[in-house]
Amino acid sequence: MTGAFVEIDALPRPSATVVPVAAARPSPARRLLRALPPYLFLLPAIGCLAVWTYRPLAAAVNLSFFSWNLLPTTPKEPVGLDNYRRLLELPDLWHALWLTAAMTLALLLFTVALPTVVALWTSAIRGRGRAVYRAMIFAPVLVPPVAGAAVWQWMLDPTSGAVDRLIGHPINWIHEPGPAQIAIVVITGWHLLGFAVLVVSAGLAGIDDEYTAAAMLDRASRWQTTRWITLPLLSPTLVFLALMTVLMSGQLTFPLIDTLTQGGPDSATTNVYYLLWEWGFQNFDAGFAASAGLLFFVAFGVVATGLVRLSDRLTFHDN
Amino acid sequence: MGRIELDGLTKRYGDVVAVDGVSLDIADGEFLVLLGPSGCGKSTLLRLVAGLITPSGGRVLLDGRDITHAPPARRDLAMVFQSYALYPHLTVARNIGFPLRAARTPRAEVRRRVEEVAALLELGPLLDRRPRELSGGQRQRVAVGRAIIRDPRAFLMDEPLSNLDAKLRQATRAQFRMLHETLGSTVLYVTHDQVEALSLATRIAMLDDGRLEQLGTPTEVYDTPASVFVAGFLGSPPMNLLPARVECHDGRVRVLADDVEVDLWPGEDVEARDVILGIRPEHLHLMAAEGPAGPGGMPRLRGVVRAVENLGAEESAQCAVGGALVHFRGARPLGLAAGQPVALTTARDHIHLFDRHSGRRLAWRPLADRPLADRQSADHEPAAALHDGVTTHQRSST
Ligand SMILES: Nc1ncnc2c1ncn2[C@@H]1O[C@H](COP(=O)(O)OP(=O)(O)OP(=O)(O)O)[C@@H](O)[C@H]1O
Ligand SMILES: [Mg+2]
Repeated sequence: MTGAFVEIDALPRPSATVVPVAAARPSPARRLLRALPPYLFLLPAIGCLAVWTYRPLAAAVNLSFFSWNLLPTTPKEPVGLDNYRRLLELPDLWHALWLTAAMTLALLLFTVALPTVVALWTSAIRGRGRAVYRAMIFAPVLVPPVAGAAVWQWMLDPTSGAVDRLIGHPINWIHEPGPAQIAIVVITGWHLLGFAVLVVSAGLAGIDDEYTAAAMLDRASRWQTTRWITLPLLSPTLVFLALMTVLMSGQLTFPLIDTLTQGGPDSATTNVYYLLWEWGFQNFDAGFAASAGLLFFVAFGVVATGLVRLSDRLTFHDN
Repeated sequence: MGRIELDGLTKRYGDVVAVDGVSLDIADGEFLVLLGPSGCGKSTLLRLVAGLITPSGGRVLLDGRDITHAPPARRDLAMVFQSYALYPHLTVARNIGFPLRAARTPRAEVRRRVEEVAALLELGPLLDRRPRELSGGQRQRVAVGRAIIRDPRAFLMDEPLSNLDAKLRQATRAQFRMLHETLGSTVLYVTHDQVEALSLATRIAMLDDGRLEQLGTPTEVYDTPASVFVAGFLGSPPMNLLPARVECHDGRVRVLADDVEVDLWPGEDVEARDVILGIRPEHLHLMAAEGPAGPGGMPRLRGVVRAVENLGAEESAQCAVGGALVHFRGARPLGLAAGQPVALTTARDHIHLFDRHSGRRLAWRPLADRPLADRQSADHEPAAALHDGVTTHQRSST
């Protein structure tokens, strides 16, 4: 018998006679119409941003090259980079920057360190107890800053205040530099602690229990588990809190400084935001304040970018 | 050493009883598989042993020491989680070395042991990767590595192969068997996959709804299922279970159902009772010729083929017998087509009987005044029809 082996091709193939026809592309107008809806939905948000954020920002950039006393009747005087030169030569600026940094660092104690400890400690609490303690710790967040400041002012009074009576000897909290700084930081911290604890608790809840279970079976102690497993997995949350603290501390301390110390004594509590406000709305030096504002804007932008990068690097997706 | 004893272990969640009074004695070096359907309480039982949840009742003993309330870290057990639970921020090397690091082992020693384990599990090139950069099979091996780097008293494994594809599963099964032989440690292994259970276990504990249904070697559990539940769980397709009735006619003990006639042995005074008749699909075959179903005749099931399924090496035919559907399996081709009438038969040794109400296996016990054919305990009693003695069916122990 003669024959030949041929390869079997079991897969169906398109027959040679069928020529694939390119699907007709819709007309440009039609395509535009189809692509439009997402942008239409975005429009209101972008509009608000433009009116309330980008336009003032552009105006501030513009204003920083002028000298102007905020009176509509006086003309703006172009001064070039003069505002910036004056600004960088001013010792007040560096003092305020340093103070802002120090206060922010101290505030991190209340927005990152303490909340982490509290959240870790209380993570075992379940049921009704959890709701009660959360409500307790969250309550200060709901107190308006100015109202809180008024109550604290009364409590910190050196002659009749509850705080001094509690610690047993009189400290003039508001009129001595050191105590005034501590008071501002602690009161701001008291305001933020509850919020920060909630954020950390949410972060903890987001960590799969299996990891801690696995660590327990791997015979890690509680402290080892916290240090090697829980804290690293929690770090994106903590970086987020640090970012919020850095970006918001100036704004959050402002109402306190304004009501309690007015930047004093001897500008011991004058942070950059208070300084800005003084320049702009007490000295009526709008161009100067605008240039300082832009400088801080850039500086905070750099810090924020660094923290966001850090947060990205610390985030581990386990899938 | 690693003997685990469970004594009436119970876990309740509100009204749900996840684990219901389970008592087990797992000998040192044993590979015990907890087998059961989804939601039967396997993971809960394993976590009770691990100490991750506290029992509502009962005790856990490890080498005779009561560890019911010992924290997991004090139990000296290693666990492979169903999700693997690899620490996502640590490299493979750090994951594997974690138990040693927690025990404050010197760094050089940790590195040496990690390399040893990595070599054993072929993880060498992956040591610097993080879990998310690994495939499912690689993750599974890292999880095993983390468990075996320490020398625990026993390993607990919760469906470690359930995320792997069929081929990898088979390869890993072989690896587990090898590991168990090399390490010689006790393994408590959870799965819902009967093939895994039958091929790996030294003993299988079948769980149903939190209760222990049967405990025995794979052979015992497969060949003499203790209940309808076990019979219907094992085998693919599982055992055919038909409602039937044991009766005594003309001096013969018979099992009868619609279109089913099984003649067991001569007998008188056997109390008629409702039973479930069980026959494994692979034990059925086509009857060569329609012989008489009289005394001594072969068991006979008459039906009509509904469908034929190709299983690769074999074919499985579904036949309507009476009101029930009977699966029957044989070498391909069976030579059957849908709609065709068939007569099936099986060896009498392959007949299983269960009580209709309790679902427990029925064993044939000759009465005391007759010579005893078999003195084995009810649990190990072979198939009901094995002995050609006379008299009553008894319920096996419940
Ligand atoms: N924390 C819990 N709260 C309430 N019920 C639970 C809890 N954990 C488990 N159960 C219930 O206990 C039973 C057993 O659950 P378990 O996880 O042990 O099942 P399983 O056998 O491991 O199932 P699977 O094979 O699907 O993993 C289920 O009915 C489940 O709903
Ligand atoms: Mg499970």
